Amino acid sequence: MVRLLLRFSEEIVEQPIVAELILEFKVPINIITALVNSKGGEVLAEVPQESVDKIVKALRKRGVKVSLPKLIEVDTEKCISCGSCVALCPVEAIAFDKDATVVFSKEKCVGSTCSACVDACPVRAIKSVKQTNHEFSYAVAKGASGKKQ
Amino acid sequence: MQRLGELKLKPQKNTRTIEEINAKIRKGDAQVLTAEEMKKLVESSGVEVAFKEVDVVTTGTFGAMCSSGAVINLGHSDPPIKIDKAWMNNVPICHPGAAVDLYIGATAMSETQPYEYGGGHLIEDLVKGKEVELRATAYGTDCYPRNSIRTNLTKDDLNQFYLLNFRNGYQRYNCAVSSRDETIYTYMGKLLPKMRNATYSGAGELNPLMNDPDYETIGIGTRIFLGGTQGYIIGEGTQHEAKSQNGTLMVRGDAKKMSAEFLRGASFTGYGTTLYVGLGVPIPILNEGLAKKTAIRDEEIFTNVVDYGVPRRNRPKLAKVSYKELKSGFITLGDRKIRVSSLSSLKMARHIAATLKKWIEQGTFYLTTPVEQLPLDTAFKPMKQTETTSFVKNVMQTAVTCKETEEVRTIAERIVSKSVNHIVAVDNSGKLIGIVTSWDVTRAMAQGKTQLADIMTRRVFTAQPDEPLEIASKRMAEHNISALPVINDEKKVLGIVTSEDVAKLLGRRT
Repeated sequence: MVRLLLRFSEEIVEQPIVAELILEFKVPINIITALVNSKGGEVLAEVPQESVDKIVKALRKRGVKVSLPKLIEVDTEKCISCGSCVALCPVEAIAFDKDATVVFSKEKCVGSTCSACVDACPVRAIKSVKQTNHEFSYAVAKGASGKKQ
Repeated sequence: MQRLGELKLKPQKNTRTIEEINAKIRKGDAQVLTAEEMKKLVESSGVEVAFKEVDVVTTGTFGAMCSSGAVINLGHSDPPIKIDKAWMNNVPICHPGAAVDLYIGATAMSETQPYEYGGGHLIEDLVKGKEVELRATAYGTDCYPRNSIRTNLTKDDLNQFYLLNFRNGYQRYNCAVSSRDETIYTYMGKLLPKMRNATYSGAGELNPLMNDPDYETIGIGTRIFLGGTQGYIIGEGTQHEAKSQNGTLMVRGDAKKMSAEFLRGASFTGYGTTLYVGLGVPIPILNEGLAKKTAIRDEEIFTNVVDYGVPRRNRPKLAKVSYKELKSGFITLGDRKIRVSSLSSLKMARHIAATLKKWIEQGTFYLTTPVEQLPLDTAFKPMKQTETTSFVKNVMQTAVTCKETEEVRTIAERIVSKSVNHIVAVDNSGKLIGIVTSWDVTRAMAQGKTQLADIMTRRVFTAQPDEPLEIASKRMAEHNISALPVINDEKKVLGIVTSEDVAKLLGRRT
């Protein structure tokens, strides 16, 4: 599965775009998080690897902005592996490895809609990253070719 | 002293001295294990073998230690100044000495970046060799005429810069949870509502005092690892209490030689700033008893799960857990499994124990004999308070109540006859179900609504009788409301506390 960040503008937020694509392509799209109101929406979704190309194309045709989510930035130089963040993560994306180093799974992280770990870091080593439009095409190009971030 | 059972063909010595260990260190022959390695050895080969083979066991801990700080001496300016108030990088600095001796407290917060930069960060910056800005003011005397000064300094410009921590290395510490409805930010970190997470601090079986719980070898003058260099224990720390296994250490070391790897400024959101301190104590294995003591395991070290949602001195203790459970990532509270993680760094604690081991093996660190043992009989007493504190129960009044089925008109009459602004809705057993204010009633009348059930607020902010009044008052201010029904654990209404009552009481005090 590849994670995509979908952004819906005010104009298209009321359309059932994701549902239409699921029906049209018969592809399971898994919605991880969604933040939607009348002004627009941001949805983090998982799409099967082999369908990424066509789904991204179809989403963009309908006016959805698609990017690969870069949700969290961890400064490993600053991190002291205290663990203050570990038990706060609702999706278990943060854990201790064998030598008690705190490790982050960017694949599991749900990002800015959560950010539970960010203000718990005593050395301020965690930043939640807001996507910029600039990153879109680059990120998707990489994602579509199946590479990880 | 030799026990009979140990008289074998070749008589074995069953003690060793610090002098003997230091002689071995000099020759490069000292056998040193970290506390974690020692436990494995004792488990596999027994205490007797471990005593014979091991000279020193190293311990380590790396946690937020708020009662830390640094003493600095600036030297004299020309013309000289007798500093009255001082700031470094906008962090207010204590001036406990004569003219130019200052103390940087780890928890003092920057006046321009409170909660994000503080004494701990300032100490880290100085240790790193960064330049910091000093500002100071004075009242001026005949001998110290200057009224103010502003200068930039690095640690090299200071005469003395030493770490002087009055309470470090707690033997063990509480595990924190919160029973509140909202997330709270404490010195034990971020605590989610309804006990959805737990936090703890301490290295457990790697902790210095836990490996010598009778303080046989640890005392005034014990040379230790402190902040990446050699330091000393200068006595028991404040709040030291041996009998409850809450021993603490007072330590000192030359901060000019320390490393920012082992001394890190930190920010606890909503609480303030502090300093992570790296501390390690070598335990000389002078006898079999010490070999046994240093074999202590996480499963033998217990601490209390404490409800930090209750802002009182005696917070409810909910359970006892071992450091083994804490390090496993889950604790069990009744039938609930709660995720737990540390605030202190086990990785760094191990790194410190291993570094100290390396120093001793390499012959750059020698052990000292303490000149005085840490006390075993001191007690940590609560503060003597000569003024009474107000709690919710002291100001709450009888609540005027109603039933959900009543009509708005009846409620309006009751508001007038009882001359109150809040009516608390209860069920037949007196349990809280909602609240209605005079404003709700006025609006309902204007809109022609007649049923109370349509207008009452069902999600009610409440207070507990034993809460400090300040907390209840803060809750009202935060949610912009003027009263809180007071309820017990079963949600039964005991009374009501209003902002008017609080204001009256506070008014009386001043």
